[in-house]
Amino acid sequence: MQNRSFRKGLAVFWWLTLMFLYAPLLVVMVFSFNSINTSARWGGFSLRWYERLMHNDVVINAISHTLLLAVISSIIAVILGAMIGYGLYRHRARKLGLLIVLIYLPIVMPDIVFGIADMAFFVQINRLTGLLSPGLATMVIAHVTFQIPFVALIVYSRFVGLDATLFDAAKDLYASPGQRMIHFILPTLKPALLSAFFLSFTLSVDDFVISFFTAGPESATLPIYIWGAIRRGISPEINAIATLMIASVALVAILSLLFNRRRA
Amino acid sequence: MSQVDVVWRRRRRRETRHLLISVLPGALWIFIFLVLPSAYLMSVAFMTNGGFGQPQMPLTLDAFRNLAGFGFLGWSPGNLYTLWRSIFQSLISLGLVVLVAYPIAWYISMCRPRLRAIMLLAVVVPSWTNQVIRAFGWMNLLSPGTPLSTLAEKMGLIAPNMGLFPSDFAVTLGLVYNFLPFMVLPLYAAFEKLDHAQIEAARDLYASPLRTFFVAVLPQTLPGLLAGSVLVAIPAFGMYVIPELLGGGRSQMLGNLVASQFGEAANWPLGAAGALLMLLATLLGLVILRRLGRRLGGGTEMVI
Repeated sequence: MQNRSFRKGLAVFWWLTLMFLYAPLLVVMVFSFNSINTSARWGGFSLRWYERLMHNDVVINAISHTLLLAVISSIIAVILGAMIGYGLYRHRARKLGLLIVLIYLPIVMPDIVFGIADMAFFVQINRLTGLLSPGLATMVIAHVTFQIPFVALIVYSRFVGLDATLFDAAKDLYASPGQRMIHFILPTLKPALLSAFFLSFTLSVDDFVISFFTAGPESATLPIYIWGAIRRGISPEINAIATLMIASVALVAILSLLFNRRRA
Repeated sequence: MSQVDVVWRRRRRRETRHLLISVLPGALWIFIFLVLPSAYLMSVAFMTNGGFGQPQMPLTLDAFRNLAGFGFLGWSPGNLYTLWRSIFQSLISLGLVVLVAYPIAWYISMCRPRLRAIMLLAVVVPSWTNQVIRAFGWMNLLSPGTPLSTLAEKMGLIAPNMGLFPSDFAVTLGLVYNFLPFMVLPLYAAFEKLDHAQIEAARDLYASPLRTFFVAVLPQTLPGLLAGSVLVAIPAFGMYVIPELLGGGRSQMLGNLVASQFGEAANWPLGAAGALLMLLATLLGLVILRRLGRRLGGGTEMVI
């Protein structure tokens, strides 16, 4: 199998697959600079779609909703998830099977079932009590629900990677629970908390289906806006927004990579 | 009761309290905002459809009869076609994903270790972009008048001016594109542990390259292949965005059927019955994964 032509064939296949993987993204990025209103032909370089974006209040609103949703939900999820991660680690000797099923549930649940279940639930709650009308609040609730497990798993695996005797050392030096938290647990956890925050943030920005079903009329995020724009008919403005989103994802990816490398 | 006993008991009670305080808020959050809503949704599947799509009380199995095609106007095959299309699309795209991912994972495992991490990253990075945008990229590539569509037209594969999108083909392509990383990662994990001595032994015994593959390579990578299959086929079965955007009206899958029942078609019980079916499929996938993990000795946990 180490045969040279076999390897060469695989290399060719690898580059073809890479083209397949990046072609749709590149097309979107390239045609966002197209001067004419189509993705079939190239009419020359222009920035007019970006200029138009600057003046589109709906888009600006959608961007701010997306960021607000991502930041608020990530903060809540990091707090709740880190607590679960710590609890799981500290009590790992106990039988916590049911809890672990509960934590994996948001990960394995098909996102459309997740979104629709939440929507139906919120509608009924709203009918009974008047609370939880669809909007940013319901979206935050749903996003936190799918972010918690990832945070918990990151924090838990950070604890598992620690030397367990460090906990005993802190106790032997008569550190109170509060002191242990401030001087030992939180500092060692800081990188894990940061990467959990970044992951939650990207998960939130990346999500479409769950946001779509829990959103209200006034709380459309960027993916929801793009979805609507596509359904209404293809506009080259979408290329420009999509390019901005691709670029920011790439930026976050590179940042977190650099961050991880420095830590390792 | 001895002194030690009391101390020990007090300590245990304190530990339990600690466990509850640290775990309960998050666990309750998931319970209230995911478990309860899902339970409610499942119960809706057994209710009757009221006037405005709101579920009503007498418990029936009407929704499931609806799902099987029995409606006001007698039986129609529409829903069953949708179900069949979901199964067919997820299996076809699974087959294609395997065909692409297998050589890719093999090739990555052959490269220098430092290169491997970058190559894996290169496979995964596109999936970090929002799936609506990725589907939109394919719409741009496949719509009528684009080079790919023109090429397909010239080769006589499609009717003039139809374009490759919207079509069943575009949906399959979108699914393959979306789920490729889900197969490459577990397969790569299997290839990384490949025992090359077995391959050499097969060759020393004058096995043909094909025979060597089936005897020495495929069995070793089977756990990764099966784990990847579950990770591709089950989510593909319930896909919503891709059929909606790339398929046009005639390529609907189960996810679209479910979603439309909570929107314009306004039949919550029918939608809930479809959702129940999706959950059952997911459960089946998880059971298969667990069985695999137990029989083949781990290696599947890293997947998620």
